[in-house]
Parts: sequence; structure tokens; C-alpha cells
Amino acid sequence: MADSNRTFDGASRRKFMLVTGTGAVAGLAGCGGQSGGSGGESGGESGGSDATATQTESDDSSSSGMDTSVLTGDGSSTVFPITNTASSYWNSNPEAGDEDYWPQSWASEEYNTDMRLADFFAQDYGYETTGERSVPPFRVSIALSHSGTGVEGVMEGRVDIGDSSAPAEAELAGSDVSQSTLDNFTDHVVGVDGQPIVVSREIADAGVESITIEELRSMYRQEITNWSEVGGPDRDILALGRAEGSGTDTSFRANVFGDPNASISPDQRFGQNQQLQQAIAQADNAIAYIALAFVEPDGATPPVDLVIDGTTYAYGENLGAQDYPLSRDLHAYTWEGTSRKEAAFLNFVLSDFGQENFVKSNNYFALPQDRLETERAKVDPSNFS
Amino acid sequence: MLQSIHTRATHNLSAAATFARNYRARTDDGALLMHLLGGLSTAVAFVLFLRGSQWTILPIIVFLATVAIGWRRYQAELVKGLTFLTTVATVSILSLIIVFLLLRSLPIVTEMGASLLTRTSQPLWGQNGVYALTPMMIGTALTTVIATTIAAPLGIAGAIFVSEIAPRRLREIVKPGIELMAGIPSITYGFIGLTIFNQYLYTEFRTPTIGNYFAAGIMIGIMALPTVVSVAEDALSTVPESMKNGSLAMGSTNWQTTQSVTIPAALSGVSAGVLLGVGRAMGETMAATVMLSHTKGFPTPVFDVFTNYGETLTTVIAFEGGNASGLHMSALFAAGVVLFFMVMVLSVTSQWIEWRMHRKLGGENA
Repeated sequence: MADSNRTFDGASRRKFMLVTGTGAVAGLAGCGGQSGGSGGESGGESGGSDATATQTESDDSSSSGMDTSVLTGDGSSTVFPITNTASSYWNSNPEAGDEDYWPQSWASEEYNTDMRLADFFAQDYGYETTGERSVPPFRVSIALSHSGTGVEGVMEGRVDIGDSSAPAEAELAGSDVSQSTLDNFTDHVVGVDGQPIVVSREIADAGVESITIEELRSMYRQEITNWSEVGGPDRDILALGRAEGSGTDTSFRANVFGDPNASISPDQRFGQNQQLQQAIAQADNAIAYIALAFVEPDGATPPVDLVIDGTTYAYGENLGAQDYPLSRDLHAYTWEGTSRKEAAFLNFVLSDFGQENFVKSNNYFALPQDRLETERAKVDPSNFS
Repeated sequence: MLQSIHTRATHNLSAAATFARNYRARTDDGALLMHLLGGLSTAVAFVLFLRGSQWTILPIIVFLATVAIGWRRYQAELVKGLTFLTTVATVSILSLIIVFLLLRSLPIVTEMGASLLTRTSQPLWGQNGVYALTPMMIGTALTTVIATTIAAPLGIAGAIFVSEIAPRRLREIVKPGIELMAGIPSITYGFIGLTIFNQYLYTEFRTPTIGNYFAAGIMIGIMALPTVVSVAEDALSTVPESMKNGSLAMGSTNWQTTQSVTIPAALSGVSAGVLLGVGRAMGETMAATVMLSHTKGFPTPVFDVFTNYGETLTTVIAFEGGNASGLHMSALFAAGVVLFFMVMVLSVTSQWIEWRMHRKLGGENA
């Protein structure tokens, strides 16, 4: 026992030298303060505190140095486009001025740098720049499965980042996990998925621009059955929904009606967004909620505003807001705090560049400014200095 | 009645005993051993496979070796054994499927009891662990009735024309054509129904939803048509030529013969064809899935085929199977069981009718 401790101390001391070395290069030496889960303290510290830091880290990332092993992620197919696109950009490490991936408009105008993409975002966390294309400071690999798999994967230390389109509590609800286990998750919201309310072209043209949430509920309970009741033409309402048991249907019940078991009776249900889009286009009296990518403001599926307690939620403006009932947060979970490596990558996703290129371009909503500040604070480089 | 059953049972038993004696006496010891080894290794392989054992390969190797050696030494006996084995396999697969269906639907049956098949009040499906198959059974009944009203008259008329009236040359073209129609994949019918028929009814007649029982039923009826035509046509042409000739010889016309001799004689076969068509309509999934509205409830009145409700036993499985779990999944299996029994009753009935027809007309074709 004592022996192994001694070897461990030795090893960590060597790594400390490395840390201090790179730290100095990055101009971070001398910064004191919290050890937010990573052991990058000054070299004079004893191995003891370092051992504690190691324990609070996930198993596969040897925390106490400049960990450059591959950062892994797995989980929800909904979050996957965001983290995966980010990882692709990161791994390619394009030079500033690569107009497709790291254009001057971002590099020099927004960030005032001529460094390569991943080099630039990693440097704040003490990583050495590589200066080479396709050689990022550390590689990122994101796998595709389900929310539950991602959450379990990060919990069991198989991956560093667990993508999930639902909160971890909900994903683990069936598997009897204690609150203290749940507390070990650190939640990073990287984007918001929101479904606008859309109507048939004829209805929008007839002047229906917004409906209240009460009207929406009544329509899906067959209490309002004619468009004239909400200021539209005298025409029956065709309320379209998604398949029973699907995640979208359950969250619609939960968020709009306040109960996942709420009894709703749409006129017609569809299995996929594509079928839904086709039906809205075919019909002249339909209302539906549909994924962002299938909204055509000037085409067959125009959006309408939703009014809740005087607040208007409009397409293209504030559908990403937390109070919008048809929105859900897209999570990237880390386990037992956030390591330096995880923080560097998540900060990259949360940056303005990341929100624009990985979140908005994948038809999700970027986080509103105030939430962005909160999320960025969780992964701020100062946590690791 | 009891006496005849007893006689038959005794007869069967003694026949089996005779068969066993003959088998023992006429089979070489080596071939006997081969049969034993082949049967045993298959059984062991099956058990090991079910248990997920890594040793499953061993009995399979034994089986293959037995077959290889058997092929060189007792070819006739080997073929006998192998064909018997495939028959056993077919029957066991069927029984395994039935057992699996029943086991998987057990949770919902214990949860819901008889109300699974009788509940008519809200909630019907999905809320608070309630899953009632009643609306789907009504849906299946409605679509099947509509389909039968399409398929039966058209199918029987078509069969009479092809079998009795059409000139030989036309018949040679039409008959394969009808059988080809049975080969068109159901999604093709469904796609036509979805894009043309549903849309037509919606825009021209303002049906409450895009797609309803009426449209789906008609499409399914068209799909069941070829089955009805070809089975009914077979039945009509099974009527012995001698019966028709007798009628013609008495001076009746062709139509009189068809009307009063051929059709009555083939009636049971024709109804078997209709029943098979009904079975096909009941089990049709793909076309109905894309055409119906997938909301569950009871039309008022119950025969309102233009209602906004639209779900059948098959479509609910196809539509929700992908994201069901727990009780929901079990309810879908229960839907499968109900469907299975309905179709089984139909097909057994139609086979019984066919068997009766063969016995009645016997003669040259039996």
C-alpha cells in the first residue's frame, strides 16, 4: 500500500513538472485558486492533493497532467449533430482563414487571432498549440446511440461526455439510481431543441398569426373544432400529432398539458416529421408541431406564434427560451465535475462560433445570452488555472 | 359419435404401432443410429442455442458429420430423416411463435383482464396503464367488411368470367394477369391510396381527416381481389366436366349450366376463396398503416366509416411497435394474438370448406 503510494507520488510529481512547464508556456503559471477537479496546481504541492483530484476525476482521464488522450462522447441522436460537428471541426484544426471552417470573419474579426481553430480554443486551458492541420491538442471522438446509453456511459466511465436529449434523472428514472449518484453529473446544456407550431398555408393566409396556449390545448382536446373560433376562416380544425409512445408525443403532453399521461385526442397521428409535413401541405385546415428543419415560413408549413400569459413566442425569435413549452434542452453530461479537457471542448461548443456553426446550422436554437453566460461559467478556463 | 371417435382412435393407434414395427424391421441398425444421432444432436443444439451457450457448435458439428456419413451409406434413410426433421422444424417454429406471442401478452392480460377486449370508455389507450384493444377490433372489423364488400362480388364475378365465360385465349392472358396482381407489394397499393385516394376524398368530400376506414377498406378490398378470384376460379374449374356435360346434353344453355350446376357445385370452394380473401384483408398492414389516421376511438354510429378515428389491430402494431415498451409493448403483442386467432379461425374454416368440397365432388380431382 505504502509502496504503491510512493510510486504514485513519483509519477504524479513528474506530471507536475510537465504541467508547470506547459503552464508557463501558456502564460498561466502563478495563477492560484481552485482546483476545479483537475490537478493543475503549482509544482510545490504535495502528491496528496493530487491524489484527491485524481479520485474526483473520471477513470479514463489521468487528470494530473496535460491530458491529451482522446476525448470520447456518446449518446442521443438529437444532440449528436452538435457535438459531432464540433468534434469534426476540432479534429481538423483548420488554419485561420480557411474560409469554409475557420474564416477570417470569425478568426480575426470576432476573436482577433491567427491561430488554428482547436489551438485557439484549447490554449486558454493550458494546451500547447500544435500548429498543424488535423493535429488538434487532443482528439475528440463522438459516438451515436441513445440518450440512455450516453448517460450510462458517462456514469460508468466509458466515455467523457454523455449526450442526452432529456435530463439524466428522466433517463435513469427506471433504474433506481440514488440522488447522490445523480449529483455526480454535471449538466452542460449546449443547445435547445424547439418545435414551432405550424398551420396549413390557407390558414396562415387567412390571417391566423398567433394562438394562445389555452387555444392550443382546446384544439388537441377537440373542444375547439373550428378555425373561426380563433379568428380564422369557417373551417374544421385538423389537429395533427405524433405517434403514441414516442418521445415527441410524451413531451408534448408533459409540456403543453402539464402531465405526460394527459388525455389528448388529435385528429390524426404521424410517425415521422416528413409524413407530418406532407399532410400539412396536403391539408388546408391543419395545425401541428414539427421539428425546426421542416418549417417553411414562405412555403407549405408556415409557423404561427404561441402566446402564453401575455408572452409571445415567435419563430425565429425566442423559441429557444426555457419557458417555451415545446422546447427541450440538449445536454452534454460530464461525470464528477468537468475535467480540463472536457471543459476545453465544451467551451468550444458554447462559444459564439460554436453556437453559430454547430447548433444553429443543425437546426437547433442557440442558447439565449443569459443561459450562455451560466453555461460558460461552468467551463471557464479560470476554473482550471 | 363417441363410438366413431373411439374406433378412429383405436385405428390410429394400431396404425402407428404397425408403422413403428415396420420402421424397426425395415431399417438397418446403422441407419437407425443415424436417425437417432441426427435427431438428438438437433435437439441438443436447439437447447444450447436457447441458453446462449458457446458449445452450440458441437452438436451442430455432430449433426453435419452424421449427415455426411449418412449420405454415403444410407442415402434413402437419410433423406427420409431430413425431410421429417424439416417438417418437425416447421411445426415447432409455429408453436414457438404462438407460445412467444402468448407469453409476451401475458402482462397486459393480467393488468387489464377481460376489459382488454371489452373496454369502451376513455381512456382507451396509453393513459395510466390502460390499453384496450376494443377500438382497434372495431377498426379491423370495419375495414374488413368494406374490403369484403369490394372483393367478394367482384372476385366471384371475375372468377365466373375467367372460368366459364371467357374464350380460352383471353383466359390464358387474364388468369396470369390476376395472379400477377397478387404479387404487387402492399406498400404500392398503400402509396396510391395515400397520395391519390385519401387526398381525393379529403379535397372533394371534406372528410374530417386525410384518410379513413372507407378509403383504407376499399384499397384493402382491391388487394384481396386476386386471392378471391384465383381460389374461386380454381373451385369453379374443379367442378367435373361430366356434370356440366350432363346439363348441356339436357338442352340447357351455357349460362343455365353455369347458373344451376357449376356455381352451386362449387359454392363451398368459392366461399373458401372469399374467406381467404377476408383473412388477407384482416391481416393487411402496410397499406392501412400509411392510409389511416392512427387515432383510437369509436365512431358514432359505429358504422361511420368516414370518422376521424382510424386504427386497426395491424396498424397499431406497425405504427407504435418502434417506440413501445413495457405494458404498451405487451398490449401490442396482445393485438397480435387477437389477430392471429381471428385469421386462424378464418383459414381453418376455409380449409374445412375446401376439404368438404373435395369430398363431395371427389371423382377425378380428389
